Amino acid sequence: MANPLVPGLLRDHLSELADRDERVDGRGQWDGRELTIEVNPLPNAEGSAKVTMGDTIVFVGIKFQIQTPYPDRPNQGGLMTSAELRPVAGRHYEPGPPSPESIEMGRVVDRGIRESGCLDVDALCIIPGEKAWQVIIDCFAISDDGNMFDAFGLAAIVALKNAIVPAERFDVGEDYPLPISLMPIMCSYHKVGGRFVYDASREEEVGGDERIHITLGDDGHVHSLQKGLKGVFTAAEFDEIMTAARQRVSELQEIVNNL
Amino acid sequence: MHRALRGEFRVFLTVENTECVMKMGGYGDVQMIDEDGKRVDGRGPGDLRPIEIEVGVVPVADGSASIRWGANYAIATVYGPMEAHPRKISRQERAVLDVRYNMAPFSTTDRMRPGFNRRSREISKVTSDALESVVQLELYPRSKIRVEIEVLCAEAGTRCVGLTAASVALADAGIPMTDMVVSVASGKINGVVVCDLNKEEDNYGEADLPMGVLPNTGDLVFLQMDGDLSPEEFQQAWDYNVNAAQAVHEIMVAALADRYGGGE
Repeated sequence: MANPLVPGLLRDHLSELADRDERVDGRGQWDGRELTIEVNPLPNAEGSAKVTMGDTIVFVGIKFQIQTPYPDRPNQGGLMTSAELRPVAGRHYEPGPPSPESIEMGRVVDRGIRESGCLDVDALCIIPGEKAWQVIIDCFAISDDGNMFDAFGLAAIVALKNAIVPAERFDVGEDYPLPISLMPIMCSYHKVGGRFVYDASREEEVGGDERIHITLGDDGHVHSLQKGLKGVFTAAEFDEIMTAARQRVSELQEIVNNL
Repeated sequence: MHRALRGEFRVFLTVENTECVMKMGGYGDVQMIDEDGKRVDGRGPGDLRPIEIEVGVVPVADGSASIRWGANYAIATVYGPMEAHPRKISRQERAVLDVRYNMAPFSTTDRMRPGFNRRSREISKVTSDALESVVQLELYPRSKIRVEIEVLCAEAGTRCVGLTAASVALADAGIPMTDMVVSVASGKINGVVVCDLNKEEDNYGEADLPMGVLPNTGDLVFLQMDGDLSPEEFQQAWDYNVNAAQAVHEIMVAALADRYGGGE
Protein backbone atom coordinates (compact mmCIF):
# COMPACT_ATOMS: atom_id res chain seq x y z
CA MET A 1 0.00 0.00 0.00
CA ALA A 2 1.32 3.42 -0.89
CA ASN A 3 2.09 5.47 2.17
CA PRO A 4 -0.30 8.41 1.99
CA LEU A 5 1.10 11.82 2.73
CA VAL A 6 -0.79 13.03 5.76
CA PRO A 7 -1.52 16.69 5.38
CA GLY A 8 -1.23 18.54 8.66
CA LEU A 9 -4.38 20.39 7.65
CA LEU A 10 -6.48 17.23 7.84
CA ARG A 11 -5.07 16.35 11.26
CA ASP A 12 -5.76 19.85 12.55
CA HIS A 13 -9.29 19.76 11.18
CA LEU A 14 -10.03 16.36 12.75
CA SER A 15 -8.60 17.54 16.02
CA GLU A 16 -10.78 20.68 16.05
CA LEU A 17 -13.83 18.55 15.31
CA ALA A 18 -12.93 16.16 18.14
CA ASP A 19 -12.68 19.08 20.58
CA ARG A 20 -16.30 19.90 19.71
CA ASP A 21 -17.32 16.22 20.00
CA GLU A 22 -17.96 16.06 16.25
CA ARG A 23 -16.79 13.84 13.41
CA VAL A 24 -15.94 14.68 9.84
CA ASP A 25 -19.08 12.97 8.45
CA GLY A 26 -21.40 14.17 11.22
CA ARG A 27 -21.51 10.92 13.23
CA GLY A 28 -21.29 10.63 16.99
CA GLN A 29 -18.19 9.13 18.63
CA TRP A 30 -19.58 5.58 18.86
CA ASP A 31 -21.85 5.60 15.78
CA GLY A 32 -21.23 3.18 12.94
CA ARG A 33 -21.96 3.90 9.31
CA GLU A 34 -25.01 2.49 7.57
CA LEU A 35 -24.63 -1.28 7.46
CA THR A 36 -26.05 -3.75 4.95
CA ILE A 37 -25.33 -7.48 4.81
CA GLU A 38 -26.07 -9.70 1.82
CA VAL A 39 -26.05 -13.46 2.39
CA ASN A 40 -24.61 -15.86 -0.23
CA PRO A 41 -24.24 -13.48 -3.18
CA LEU A 42 -21.55 -15.72 -4.75
CA PRO A 43 -22.84 -19.10 -5.99
CA ASN A 44 -19.40 -20.67 -6.53
CA ALA A 45 -18.39 -20.15 -2.91
CA GLU A 46 -19.69 -22.68 -0.36
CA GLY A 47 -20.80 -19.74 1.75
CA SER A 48 -20.43 -16.02 1.15
CA ALA A 49 -21.38 -12.58 2.38
CA LYS A 50 -21.20 -9.03 1.12
CA VAL A 51 -20.91 -6.35 3.79
CA THR A 52 -21.36 -2.65 3.05
CA MET A 53 -20.47 -0.09 5.72
CA GLY A 54 -20.92 3.37 4.22
CA ASP A 55 -18.64 3.37 1.17
CA THR A 56 -16.63 0.35 2.35
CA ILE A 57 -17.63 -2.82 0.50
CA VAL A 58 -16.15 -6.30 1.05
CA PHE A 59 -16.90 -9.87 0.08
CA VAL A 60 -15.97 -13.00 2.00
CA GLY A 61 -16.15 -16.42 0.38
CA ILE A 62 -15.75 -19.78 2.10
CA LYS A 63 -14.10 -22.69 0.29
CA PHE A 64 -13.33 -26.21 1.50
CA GLN A 65 -10.41 -28.49 0.74
CA ILE A 66 -9.53 -31.94 2.00
CA GLN A 67 -6.15 -32.20 3.70
CA THR A 68 -4.21 -34.69 5.77
CA PRO A 69 -4.49 -33.69 9.45
CA TYR A 70 -1.33 -32.55 11.20
CA PRO A 71 0.44 -35.51 12.87
CA ASP A 72 0.07 -33.99 16.35
CA ARG A 73 -3.66 -33.35 15.81
CA PRO A 74 -4.93 -36.34 13.82
CA ASN A 75 -8.58 -35.68 14.73
CA GLN A 76 -8.75 -32.04 13.70
CA GLY A 77 -9.55 -30.14 10.55
CA GLY A 78 -8.02 -26.80 9.71
CA LEU A 79 -8.93 -23.16 9.31
CA MET A 80 -7.15 -20.67 7.10
CA THR A 81 -7.95 -17.00 6.61
CA SER A 82 -6.50 -14.76 3.96
CA ALA A 83 -7.28 -11.15 3.19
CA GLU A 84 -6.60 -9.67 -0.20
CA LEU A 85 -6.35 -5.93 -0.66
CA ARG A 86 -6.19 -5.82 -4.41
CA PRO A 87 -5.80 -2.59 -6.38
CA VAL A 88 -9.47 -2.75 -7.40
CA ALA A 89 -10.43 -1.41 -3.97
CA GLY A 90 -8.77 1.96 -3.91
CA ARG A 91 -6.65 4.57 -5.60
CA HIS A 92 -3.84 4.16 -3.07
CA TYR A 93 -3.42 0.40 -3.60
CA GLU A 94 -0.69 -1.02 -5.76
CA PRO A 95 -0.32 -4.46 -7.27
CA GLY A 96 2.24 -6.79 -5.81
CA PRO A 97 2.74 -9.42 -3.16
CA PRO A 98 0.48 -9.30 -0.06
CA SER A 99 1.21 -6.17 1.96
CA PRO A 100 1.97 -6.36 5.70
CA GLU A 101 -1.39 -4.60 6.23
CA SER A 102 -3.36 -7.29 4.42
CA ILE A 103 -1.48 -10.06 6.25
CA GLU A 104 -2.24 -8.40 9.58
CA MET A 105 -5.90 -8.09 8.60
CA GLY A 106 -6.20 -11.74 7.66
CA ARG A 107 -4.51 -12.86 10.85
CA VAL A 108 -6.59 -10.66 13.15
CA VAL A 109 -9.83 -11.88 11.54
CA ASP A 110 -8.52 -15.46 11.81
CA ARG A 111 -7.73 -15.17 15.51
CA GLY A 112 -11.15 -13.82 16.42
CA ILE A 113 -12.86 -16.74 14.73
CA ARG A 114 -10.39 -19.45 15.74
CA GLU A 115 -10.12 -18.49 19.41
CA SER A 116 -13.85 -18.05 19.90
CA GLY A 117 -14.25 -21.76 19.23
CA CYS A 118 -17.26 -21.09 17.01
CA LEU A 119 -15.91 -23.65 14.56
CA ASP A 120 -15.61 -27.16 15.98
CA VAL A 121 -12.35 -28.37 14.43
CA ASP A 122 -12.94 -31.92 15.70
CA ALA A 123 -16.14 -32.07 13.66
CA LEU A 124 -14.10 -31.31 10.54
CA CYS A 125 -12.29 -34.63 10.74
CA ILE A 126 -13.44 -37.20 8.15
CA ILE A 127 -11.01 -40.09 8.74
CA PRO A 128 -8.67 -39.61 11.74
CA GLY A 129 -5.07 -39.20 10.62
CA GLU A 130 -6.04 -39.35 6.96
CA LYS A 131 -8.67 -36.88 5.84
CA ALA A 132 -10.04 -33.69 7.32
CA TRP A 133 -11.69 -30.56 6.01
CA GLN A 134 -9.75 -27.37 5.69
CA VAL A 135 -12.04 -24.36 5.84
CA ILE A 136 -10.67 -21.39 3.92
CA ILE A 137 -11.96 -17.89 4.56
CA ASP A 138 -11.03 -15.55 1.72
CA CYS A 139 -11.58 -11.87 2.46
CA PHE A 140 -11.80 -9.71 -0.63
CA ALA A 141 -12.13 -5.93 -0.66
CA ILE A 142 -14.01 -4.14 -3.43
CA SER A 143 -14.14 -0.60 -2.04
CA ASP A 144 -11.95 0.68 0.81
CA ASP A 145 -13.34 3.67 2.65
CA GLY A 146 -11.87 2.67 6.00
CA ASN A 147 -12.31 0.05 8.73
CA MET A 148 -11.83 -3.01 6.55
CA PHE A 149 -11.14 -5.09 9.67
CA ASP A 150 -14.72 -4.93 10.96
CA ALA A 151 -16.18 -5.41 7.49
CA PHE A 152 -14.07 -8.55 6.97
CA GLY A 153 -14.78 -9.87 10.46
CA LEU A 154 -18.51 -9.47 10.08
CA ALA A 155 -18.62 -10.85 6.53
CA ALA A 156 -16.52 -13.84 7.64
CA ILE A 157 -18.85 -14.94 10.42
CA VAL A 158 -21.95 -14.41 8.25
CA ALA A 159 -20.38 -16.43 5.41
CA LEU A 160 -19.37 -19.22 7.81
CA LYS A 161 -22.86 -19.40 9.30
CA ASN A 162 -24.29 -19.86 5.81
CA ALA A 163 -21.69 -22.27 4.45
CA ILE A 164 -22.51 -25.76 3.17
CA VAL A 165 -19.80 -28.43 3.43
CA PRO A 166 -19.50 -29.81 -0.14
CA ALA A 167 -19.11 -33.46 0.90
CA GLU A 168 -20.84 -34.83 -2.20
CA ARG A 169 -18.41 -33.14 -4.55
CA PHE A 170 -15.48 -34.69 -2.68
CA ASP A 171 -17.20 -38.09 -2.45
CA VAL A 172 -17.25 -38.21 1.36
CA GLY A 173 -20.97 -38.29 2.17
CA GLU A 174 -23.81 -35.83 1.92
CA ASP A 175 -23.62 -32.05 1.95
CA TYR A 176 -24.44 -30.49 5.30
CA PRO A 177 -24.45 -26.99 6.79
CA LEU A 178 -21.20 -26.06 8.52
CA PRO A 179 -22.01 -26.06 12.26
CA ILE A 180 -21.22 -22.66 13.78
CA SER A 181 -22.22 -22.48 17.42
CA LEU A 182 -20.99 -19.08 18.63
CA MET A 183 -20.71 -15.64 17.19
CA PRO A 184 -17.45 -13.69 17.47
CA ILE A 185 -17.75 -10.07 16.32
CA MET A 186 -14.94 -7.57 15.84
CA CYS A 187 -15.20 -3.88 16.72
CA SER A 188 -12.43 -1.46 15.80
CA TYR A 189 -11.60 1.90 17.32
CA HIS A 190 -9.27 4.50 15.85
CA LYS A 191 -7.74 7.42 17.66
CA VAL A 192 -8.77 10.49 15.69
CA GLY A 193 -8.05 14.01 16.88
CA GLY A 194 -6.90 12.68 20.26
CA ARG A 195 -9.87 10.46 21.11
CA PHE A 196 -11.08 7.03 20.07
CA VAL A 197 -13.98 6.70 17.62
CA TYR A 198 -15.82 3.63 16.33
CA ASP A 199 -15.81 2.58 12.65
CA ALA A 200 -13.39 5.16 11.26
CA SER A 201 -13.74 6.22 7.65
CA ARG A 202 -10.65 6.26 5.45
CA GLU A 203 -10.27 10.00 5.95
CA GLU A 204 -10.19 9.45 9.71
CA GLU A 205 -7.71 6.58 9.32
CA VAL A 206 -5.36 8.71 7.22
CA GLY A 207 -5.56 11.66 9.62
CA GLY A 208 -5.62 9.56 12.79
CA ASP A 209 -3.24 7.56 14.95
CA GLU A 210 -3.33 4.11 16.51
CA ARG A 211 -6.17 1.63 16.20
CA ILE A 212 -7.46 -1.09 18.49
CA HIS A 213 -9.40 -4.14 17.36
CA ILE A 214 -11.49 -6.10 19.85
CA THR A 215 -13.22 -9.38 19.09
CA LEU A 216 -15.89 -10.42 21.56
CA GLY A 217 -17.89 -13.62 21.49
CA ASP A 218 -20.98 -14.84 23.30
CA ASP A 219 -21.58 -13.60 26.87
CA GLY A 220 -18.99 -10.85 26.42
CA HIS A 221 -15.97 -13.17 26.31
CA VAL A 222 -12.86 -11.58 24.82
CA HIS A 223 -11.25 -13.60 22.03
CA SER A 224 -8.75 -11.38 20.28
CA LEU A 225 -7.15 -7.99 20.62
CA GLN A 226 -4.81 -6.12 18.35
CA LYS A 227 -3.25 -2.70 18.64
CA GLY A 228 -1.99 -1.32 15.35
CA LEU A 229 0.07 1.68 14.24
CA LYS A 230 2.11 4.14 16.25
CA GLY A 231 0.48 5.63 19.33
CA VAL A 232 0.04 5.51 23.09
CA PHE A 233 -3.23 4.84 24.89
CA THR A 234 -4.19 4.78 28.55
CA ALA A 235 -5.92 2.07 30.55
CA ALA A 236 -8.86 4.44 31.01
CA GLU A 237 -9.21 4.87 27.25
CA PHE A 238 -9.17 1.11 26.81
CA ASP A 239 -11.90 0.72 29.43
CA GLU A 240 -14.01 3.22 27.57
CA ILE A 241 -13.76 1.47 24.21
CA MET A 242 -14.26 -1.95 25.80
CA THR A 243 -17.56 -0.72 27.21
CA ALA A 244 -18.53 0.68 23.81
CA ALA A 245 -17.49 -2.60 22.15
CA ARG A 246 -19.64 -4.74 24.46
CA GLN A 247 -22.66 -2.63 23.54
CA ARG A 248 -21.97 -2.68 19.79
CA VAL A 249 -21.16 -6.41 19.65
CA SER A 250 -24.52 -7.34 21.16
CA GLU A 251 -26.28 -5.08 18.63
CA LEU A 252 -24.39 -6.69 15.75
CA GLN A 253 -25.03 -10.21 17.05
CA GLU A 254 -28.72 -9.46 16.99
CA ILE A 255 -28.49 -8.11 13.44
CA VAL A 256 -26.68 -11.26 12.26
CA ASN A 257 -29.11 -13.54 14.09
CA ASN A 258 -32.03 -11.84 12.37
CA LEU A 259 -30.64 -12.13 8.84
CA MET B 1 -33.36 -18.53 -11.64
CA HIS B 2 -29.58 -18.90 -11.89
CA ARG B 3 -29.48 -21.11 -8.84
CA ALA B 4 -32.13 -23.43 -10.22
CA LEU B 5 -30.29 -23.68 -13.50
CA ARG B 6 -27.00 -24.32 -11.77
CA GLY B 7 -28.62 -27.06 -9.76
CA GLU B 8 -29.71 -28.77 -12.92
CA PHE B 9 -26.25 -28.49 -14.42
CA ARG B 10 -24.63 -29.99 -11.41
CA VAL B 11 -26.84 -33.05 -11.38
CA PHE B 12 -26.47 -33.41 -15.10
CA LEU B 13 -22.72 -33.15 -14.95
CA THR B 14 -21.88 -35.17 -11.91
CA VAL B 15 -24.21 -38.05 -12.62
CA GLU B 16 -24.75 -38.40 -16.33
CA ASN B 17 -21.82 -36.66 -17.91
CA THR B 18 -19.02 -38.20 -15.96
CA GLU B 19 -20.40 -41.64 -16.71
CA CYS B 20 -20.76 -40.68 -20.31
CA VAL B 21 -17.21 -39.49 -20.46
CA MET B 22 -15.96 -42.69 -18.91
CA LYS B 23 -18.01 -44.97 -21.15
CA MET B 24 -17.54 -43.17 -24.41
CA GLY B 25 -13.90 -42.33 -24.05
CA GLY B 26 -14.19 -38.71 -23.48
CA TYR B 27 -13.97 -35.28 -24.63
CA GLY B 28 -16.65 -34.17 -27.04
CA ASP B 29 -18.83 -37.24 -26.62
CA VAL B 30 -21.18 -35.73 -24.06
CA GLN B 31 -24.69 -35.01 -25.29
CA MET B 32 -25.24 -31.30 -24.67
CA ILE B 33 -28.00 -30.52 -27.19
CA ASP B 34 -31.33 -32.35 -27.13
CA GLU B 35 -33.51 -33.40 -30.11
CA ASP B 36 -35.31 -30.05 -30.16
CA GLY B 37 -32.02 -28.17 -30.43
CA LYS B 38 -32.26 -26.97 -26.80
CA ARG B 39 -29.08 -26.55 -24.77
CA VAL B 40 -28.53 -27.82 -21.19
CA ASP B 41 -29.75 -24.52 -19.76
CA GLY B 42 -32.79 -24.42 -22.06
CA ARG B 43 -31.42 -21.85 -24.48
CA GLY B 44 -31.63 -22.10 -28.26
CA PRO B 45 -28.32 -22.09 -30.19
CA GLY B 46 -28.36 -18.32 -30.81
CA ASP B 47 -29.49 -17.19 -27.33
CA LEU B 48 -27.44 -15.23 -24.82
CA ARG B 49 -27.51 -15.92 -21.09
CA PRO B 50 -29.35 -13.31 -18.97
CA ILE B 51 -27.21 -10.19 -18.48
CA GLU B 52 -27.49 -7.45 -15.86
CA ILE B 53 -25.16 -4.47 -15.66
CA GLU B 54 -24.97 -1.90 -12.89
CA VAL B 55 -22.91 1.29 -13.10
CA GLY B 56 -21.13 3.05 -10.24
CA VAL B 57 -21.03 0.15 -7.79
CA VAL B 58 -17.66 1.06 -6.20
CA PRO B 59 -17.99 4.46 -4.52
CA VAL B 60 -14.25 5.08 -4.05
CA ALA B 61 -13.41 4.51 -7.75
CA ASP B 62 -13.51 7.08 -10.55
CA GLY B 63 -15.58 4.67 -12.61
CA SER B 64 -17.01 1.23 -11.94
CA ALA B 65 -19.46 -1.36 -13.16
CA SER B 66 -20.67 -4.77 -12.06
CA ILE B 67 -21.98 -7.36 -14.44
CA ARG B 68 -23.96 -10.54 -13.92
CA TRP B 69 -23.83 -12.67 -17.04
CA GLY B 70 -25.37 -16.08 -16.46
CA ALA B 71 -23.71 -17.13 -13.20
CA ASN B 72 -20.65 -14.97 -13.97
CA TYR B 73 -20.23 -12.02 -11.66
CA ALA B 74 -17.47 -9.49 -12.25
CA ILE B 75 -16.62 -6.00 -11.07
CA ALA B 76 -14.48 -3.51 -12.96
CA THR B 77 -13.07 -0.29 -11.53
CA VAL B 78 -11.20 2.57 -13.17
CA TYR B 79 -8.82 4.95 -11.41
CA GLY B 80 -7.39 7.95 -13.20
CA PRO B 81 -6.16 9.58 -15.30
CA MET B 82 -3.51 9.93 -12.60
CA GLU B 83 0.23 10.49 -12.39
CA ALA B 84 2.11 7.73 -14.19
CA HIS B 85 3.98 5.82 -11.54
CA PRO B 86 6.65 4.44 -11.64
CA ARG B 87 8.02 7.27 -13.74
CA LYS B 88 9.70 4.97 -16.27
CA ILE B 89 6.34 3.76 -17.64
CA SER B 90 5.22 7.30 -18.46
CA ARG B 91 4.91 8.32 -22.13
CA GLN B 92 5.48 11.82 -23.48
CA GLU B 93 2.62 11.77 -25.95
CA ARG B 94 -0.10 9.65 -24.35
CA ALA B 95 -1.48 7.99 -21.24
CA VAL B 96 -0.59 4.40 -20.39
CA LEU B 97 -3.33 1.91 -19.66
CA ASP B 98 -2.64 -0.44 -16.75
CA VAL B 99 -5.10 -3.32 -16.99
CA ARG B 100 -5.37 -6.22 -14.56
CA TYR B 101 -7.71 -9.19 -14.83
CA ASN B 102 -7.94 -11.41 -11.77
CA MET B 103 -10.11 -14.19 -10.43
CA ALA B 104 -11.01 -14.13 -6.72
CA PRO B 105 -10.02 -17.31 -4.83
CA PHE B 106 -13.69 -18.22 -4.26
CA SER B 107 -14.77 -17.56 -7.85
CA THR B 108 -14.33 -21.15 -9.03
CA THR B 109 -15.55 -24.56 -7.87
CA ASP B 110 -12.10 -25.52 -6.59
CA ARG B 111 -10.41 -22.68 -4.74
CA MET B 112 -8.02 -20.68 -6.85
CA ARG B 113 -4.68 -19.77 -5.30
CA PRO B 114 -4.46 -15.98 -5.01
CA GLY B 115 -2.02 -14.13 -7.20
CA PHE B 116 -1.18 -13.83 -10.86
CA ASN B 117 -0.77 -16.83 -13.08
CA ARG B 118 0.09 -17.18 -16.78
CA ARG B 119 -3.56 -17.27 -17.78
CA SER B 120 -4.54 -14.09 -15.96
CA ARG B 121 -1.46 -12.30 -17.28
CA GLU B 122 -2.34 -13.18 -20.84
CA ILE B 123 -5.96 -12.12 -20.40
CA SER B 124 -4.83 -8.86 -18.80
CA LYS B 125 -2.64 -8.21 -21.82
CA VAL B 126 -5.21 -8.93 -24.53
CA THR B 127 -7.83 -6.95 -22.58
CA SER B 128 -5.41 -4.05 -22.40
CA ASP B 129 -4.69 -4.31 -26.13
CA ALA B 130 -8.43 -4.22 -26.86
CA LEU B 131 -9.12 -1.22 -24.63
CA GLU B 132 -6.06 0.71 -25.89
CA SER B 133 -7.64 0.54 -29.33
CA VAL B 134 -10.63 2.62 -28.24
CA VAL B 135 -9.50 4.79 -25.30
CA GLN B 136 -8.26 8.19 -26.51
CA LEU B 137 -4.97 7.95 -24.65
CA GLU B 138 -3.39 10.86 -26.54
CA LEU B 139 -5.62 13.24 -24.58
CA TYR B 140 -3.72 12.50 -21.35
CA PRO B 141 0.05 12.72 -21.94
CA ARG B 142 2.33 11.40 -19.15
CA SER B 143 -0.55 9.95 -17.16
CA LYS B 144 -1.85 6.54 -16.26
CA ILE B 145 -5.33 5.03 -16.32
CA ARG B 146 -5.79 1.96 -14.16
CA VAL B 147 -8.41 -0.64 -15.06
CA GLU B 148 -9.03 -3.45 -12.56
CA ILE B 149 -11.21 -6.43 -13.45
CA GLU B 150 -12.13 -8.81 -10.65
CA VAL B 151 -14.08 -11.98 -11.35
CA LEU B 152 -15.99 -12.90 -8.19
CA CYS B 153 -17.95 -15.81 -9.65
CA ALA B 154 -16.89 -17.62 -12.80
CA GLU B 155 -19.03 -19.57 -15.25
CA ALA B 156 -17.22 -19.55 -18.64
CA GLY B 157 -16.51 -16.49 -20.72
CA THR B 158 -14.99 -14.45 -17.90
CA ARG B 159 -12.57 -12.64 -20.22
CA CYS B 160 -15.52 -11.41 -22.32
CA VAL B 161 -17.50 -10.50 -19.23
CA GLY B 162 -14.52 -8.63 -17.78
CA LEU B 163 -13.75 -6.72 -20.98
CA THR B 164 -17.40 -5.68 -21.33
CA ALA B 165 -17.53 -4.54 -17.70
CA ALA B 166 -14.26 -2.60 -18.13
CA SER B 167 -15.74 -0.70 -21.09
CA VAL B 168 -18.72 0.37 -19.01
CA ALA B 169 -16.48 1.34 -16.08
CA LEU B 170 -14.33 3.48 -18.41
CA ALA B 171 -17.47 5.19 -19.67
CA ASP B 172 -18.57 5.74 -16.06
CA ALA B 173 -15.18 7.33 -15.33
CA GLY B 174 -15.77 9.76 -18.18
CA ILE B 175 -12.72 8.59 -20.14
CA PRO B 176 -13.16 9.50 -23.84
CA MET B 177 -13.45 6.44 -26.09
CA THR B 178 -14.23 6.04 -29.76
CA ASP B 179 -16.62 3.22 -28.84
CA MET B 180 -17.31 0.73 -26.03
CA VAL B 181 -15.88 -2.75 -26.57
CA VAL B 182 -18.52 -5.50 -26.36
CA SER B 183 -17.17 -8.97 -25.96
CA VAL B 184 -18.96 -12.28 -26.55
CA ALA B 185 -17.78 -15.86 -27.15
CA SER B 186 -19.49 -18.35 -29.42
CA GLY B 187 -18.39 -21.89 -30.09
CA LYS B 188 -19.37 -25.40 -31.05
CA ILE B 189 -20.83 -28.23 -29.05
CA ASN B 190 -21.89 -31.64 -30.44
CA GLY B 191 -21.25 -30.23 -33.91
CA VAL B 192 -23.74 -27.39 -33.39
CA VAL B 193 -22.55 -23.79 -33.40
CA VAL B 194 -23.91 -21.98 -30.33
CA CYS B 195 -23.77 -18.43 -29.02
CA ASP B 196 -22.35 -17.48 -25.59
CA LEU B 197 -20.95 -20.76 -24.24
CA ASN B 198 -21.81 -21.71 -20.66
CA LYS B 199 -19.51 -23.66 -18.35
CA GLU B 200 -20.43 -27.16 -19.52
CA GLU B 201 -20.30 -26.16 -23.18
CA ASP B 202 -16.94 -24.53 -22.61
CA ASN B 203 -15.59 -27.64 -20.87
CA TYR B 204 -16.92 -30.25 -23.28
CA GLY B 205 -17.25 -28.19 -26.47
CA GLU B 206 -15.21 -28.43 -29.63
CA ALA B 207 -14.46 -24.76 -30.23
CA ASP B 208 -14.45 -21.36 -28.52
CA LEU B 209 -14.32 -18.04 -30.38
CA PRO B 210 -14.24 -14.97 -28.11
CA MET B 211 -14.42 -11.62 -29.91
CA GLY B 212 -14.41 -7.95 -28.94
CA VAL B 213 -16.67 -5.95 -31.24
CA LEU B 214 -17.14 -2.19 -31.60
CA PRO B 215 -20.91 -1.98 -31.96
CA ASN B 216 -21.01 1.37 -33.77
CA THR B 217 -18.76 0.30 -36.65
CA GLY B 218 -18.71 -3.50 -36.46
CA ASP B 219 -14.90 -3.37 -36.21
CA LEU B 220 -12.96 -5.80 -34.01
CA VAL B 221 -10.38 -5.10 -31.32
CA PHE B 222 -10.14 -8.49 -29.62
CA LEU B 223 -10.05 -11.94 -31.16
CA GLN B 224 -9.04 -15.35 -29.88
CA MET B 225 -10.02 -18.84 -30.89
CA ASP B 226 -9.25 -22.41 -30.05
CA GLY B 227 -10.73 -25.67 -31.24
CA ASP B 228 -11.98 -26.85 -34.59
CA LEU B 229 -14.46 -25.04 -36.87
CA SER B 230 -15.26 -25.57 -40.56
CA PRO B 231 -15.41 -22.40 -42.70
CA GLU B 232 -19.23 -22.45 -42.48
CA GLU B 233 -19.23 -23.02 -38.73
CA PHE B 234 -16.68 -20.27 -38.29
CA GLN B 235 -18.88 -17.83 -40.23
CA GLN B 236 -21.90 -18.82 -38.11
CA ALA B 237 -20.01 -18.32 -34.82
CA TRP B 238 -18.67 -14.99 -36.08
CA ASP B 239 -22.20 -13.81 -37.01
CA TYR B 240 -23.56 -14.92 -33.63
CA ASN B 241 -20.92 -12.82 -31.88
CA VAL B 242 -21.49 -9.72 -34.01
CA ASN B 243 -25.25 -9.89 -33.50
CA ALA B 244 -25.00 -10.68 -29.79
CA ALA B 245 -22.67 -7.69 -29.38
CA GLN B 246 -25.48 -5.41 -30.53
CA ALA B 247 -27.84 -6.90 -27.95
CA VAL B 248 -25.27 -6.60 -25.14
CA HIS B 249 -24.48 -3.04 -26.21
CA GLU B 250 -28.11 -2.09 -25.64
CA ILE B 251 -27.87 -3.40 -22.08
CA MET B 252 -24.63 -1.44 -21.51
CA VAL B 253 -26.17 1.79 -22.81
CA ALA B 254 -29.31 1.23 -20.74
CA ALA B 255 -27.20 0.71 -17.59
CA LEU B 256 -25.34 3.98 -18.21
CA ALA B 257 -28.60 5.79 -18.99
CA ASP B 258 -30.00 4.37 -15.77
CA ARG B 259 -27.27 6.13 -13.84
CA TYR B 260 -26.91 9.33 -15.81
CA GLY B 261 -30.27 9.77 -17.54
CA GLY B 262 -30.64 10.31 -21.27
CA GLY B 263 -29.95 7.28 -23.42
CA GLU B 264 -31.60 7.03 -26.81
